[in-house]
Amino acid sequence: MLLAGGVGSRLNILARQRAKPAIPFSAIYRIIDFTMSNIANSSIDVVGVLTQYKPLSLMGHLNSGKPWDLFGRTRIVEILPPKTGEKISDWYKGTSDAIYQNLGFIQDYSPHLVLVVSGDHIYHMNYNELVAYHISKKADATICLIKVPSEDAHHFGIAQINNEGKIVQWVEKPEKPPSNLASMGIYLFNTDILTTTLQRVAKKGGVDFAKDVIPVMLRKNRVYGYALSSYWRDVGTIDAYWKTNMDILQKNTGLQIEKWHIKTNHSVKGEVGDRPSAYFGSHSEVSNSLIARGCIIEGHVHNSILSPGVKIHRGAVVSDSIIFHDTTIGEKSVIENCIIDKVVTIGNTVTIGQGKCVPNKKFPSHLYSGISIVGKKAVIPAHCKIGKNCIINPGITVEKKGMRSGTTI
Amino acid sequence: MEKVIALILAGGRVDELLCLTEKRPKSALPVFGIYRIIDFVLSNLMHMGINNVGVLSQYRPYALVRHIGTGEHWDFIGRKRGIRMLPPYRGFKASDWYKGTADAVYQNLSYIEEFKPQHILVASADHIYRMDYKPLLRFHTENNADATICFTKLKTKSTRFGYGVIAENGQLTHYLEKPESPPSDWVSMTVYCFKTEFLIDVLKSNVLENSHEFGHDIIPKIINHNRVFGFAFKEYWAYARTIETYFRTNMDLLNRKVNLSEWQIRTNLLERCAYFDRMPARISGNVTDAVVSEGCIVQGTVTNSILSPGVVVKAGTEISDSVIFHDTIIEKQAKLHKVICDKDSVIGEECVIGGFGEDVPSREFPDLLNSGITLLGRNSTIPAKTRIGANTTVYASAQLSSTHIEPGSTIR
Repeated sequence: MLLAGGVGSRLNILARQRAKPAIPFSAIYRIIDFTMSNIANSSIDVVGVLTQYKPLSLMGHLNSGKPWDLFGRTRIVEILPPKTGEKISDWYKGTSDAIYQNLGFIQDYSPHLVLVVSGDHIYHMNYNELVAYHISKKADATICLIKVPSEDAHHFGIAQINNEGKIVQWVEKPEKPPSNLASMGIYLFNTDILTTTLQRVAKKGGVDFAKDVIPVMLRKNRVYGYALSSYWRDVGTIDAYWKTNMDILQKNTGLQIEKWHIKTNHSVKGEVGDRPSAYFGSHSEVSNSLIARGCIIEGHVHNSILSPGVKIHRGAVVSDSIIFHDTTIGEKSVIENCIIDKVVTIGNTVTIGQGKCVPNKKFPSHLYSGISIVGKKAVIPAHCKIGKNCIINPGITVEKKGMRSGTTI
Repeated sequence: MEKVIALILAGGRVDELLCLTEKRPKSALPVFGIYRIIDFVLSNLMHMGINNVGVLSQYRPYALVRHIGTGEHWDFIGRKRGIRMLPPYRGFKASDWYKGTADAVYQNLSYIEEFKPQHILVASADHIYRMDYKPLLRFHTENNADATICFTKLKTKSTRFGYGVIAENGQLTHYLEKPESPPSDWVSMTVYCFKTEFLIDVLKSNVLENSHEFGHDIIPKIINHNRVFGFAFKEYWAYARTIETYFRTNMDLLNRKVNLSEWQIRTNLLERCAYFDRMPARISGNVTDAVVSEGCIVQGTVTNSILSPGVVVKAGTEISDSVIFHDTIIEKQAKLHKVICDKDSVIGEECVIGGFGEDVPSREFPDLLNSGITLLGRNSTIPAKTRIGANTTVYASAQLSSTHIEPGSTIR
């Protein structure tokens, strides 16, 4: 059961029109591709995808599971949106509520075990190893745990385990973390225990795995922790999103998309032709960058990630930036430390990302490290000068001559 | 009943392309990085909205069968839409390999009868062009033609084409297949439109003869007694009849004569030939006037060249005027000039391939390889520090006996 309803509000305008799992990552992927590929590569055949928040781009992307070979008589990806019940219209009120409302789907396949994963993280994992561990411990539930830096631990559910691996303490987003083992949002349950616990918790109004379900199970059942130390990133903030993307350009960061056999959906809705390979013109200069198909590079690109169809005109210089599909950068424009969403038009001699590093006034906790973000289909006219930590909302045509650092349009 | 169905002639084996077509039909030859030549005719048919397509193939069709798959990539899938591979089959009396293009169609008359179309569009899979076939069909029906043959203007005279003379009213007055002195500039594109009943009659009478080619046997015969018209196509049309023309066609993408985004060409994206599960290209070298596909890693210098998916160019290596197929690795400090290198090859450190002895034609194929191009077949392994002169052909998986290969050599 793949929880793909994440709102990702800290990702600001990147998550404005799409669920967090559907946000593009590393030029051609979406965040959910990592979990989908892990599932497919672990030979799990039946996947229910729980969607709620802006599910359209996600549903199109999953395309009945075909890109991950989860397609056939016994291999199935089923989208499970909220539905109107007999009595009430039921939006999913939380992670465990979403599963509770789809117990019927689980019963259809009567599995021994149910794996609950989130579609929000960048990592590689063979879930079969988790299953083997779960069985060897005769566990009722096993929660995947990962070591995080102690200063970040208060963002996560934190577990303490004993020598055997049994979870002895569990606290959600604690002020004083008892350990640095954070929950990865990956749970494996025995189906019968999950069913009865969810029914009991739901009666009492519980809706969340971490807050409501796990504490109940800790009292009554055998709950184990499966600790990993591999690459795992929660890309829930602009900073973490930018850094994790950039990991692909550096050596030995642990992010190994090809080796992990990450698959994505290549076909694009509405496109009649397929994108040709990237073209590099006579004056192009590119270093340490990822350049996807359909890009046309006439200018300079350094330490950047370009999604399909990006056009960089002559004399433009793009550095330390992430640019999504079909965005155009005009001649002699200078783009630094930016995340630019799809189909943005940037005119000639525009500069973005220069100036004082003042945190964004509206969202100081989202943008403070110097990254500016430009929303989908925004238009920035020629000669415009935009500073650091700026936000330009989707669809906006900038009419000012410039934007000071830390401002929002 | 369908108004029009299409038959694609995709089977031909050709010797002129040497090691490039040793194990694949020409229509399956990679081009422009991620495409195969047949993608152009398939995309043209898709844009036209045709519902049913038959592919006549005979020579090593496996690459084509896999490439075409269910036809979904060109939208030839649905209750009324389909694409069917039509390989030769054992007849009632004997095993019947196709004896020519016309024979290939004749042996599949039952496919045609299944749809009972009014007209049949026959097109070769071997050419690179973007054409809307609808004006052709309109021209064909407005003239109440029995057959309409498409022509394009070719400046360079060649003995490899069929030439036609079109009268002012559009009627085809002369047609000569591969003549020594061409009567005009108009060459046949191997795109024909026939009235179905007419085609069936013509094929049935051709069976009794001993040669069965549209260009050689059918068209010259029908122009005298039937309504046969010539349709002039005036846009870009390229072919790959020789190594030299295949090379120049590739280079047309770099000098922007071919605009693939405008043409909206589709291919099978899930095949190894295209994106498959590859990452975007990782570039940290100098890349100018070049096309670089997904999965490539470039640390060296690439100019005026096309790299198919998965090509690795290590630091210090210089590649110029070359076409490199899928997953070939070029180690450090190598130099490649005017090289066409097939898939899965490994070129060792400090190798020099091409760029010297360009005026020495191939000794074995002087007519086919003389313009300074060096060919490396599939799975070539070139040991470090090897020097290979221009106009050399290295056949697939060949073993090199020396680290110095003279220009004009052939290695098997």
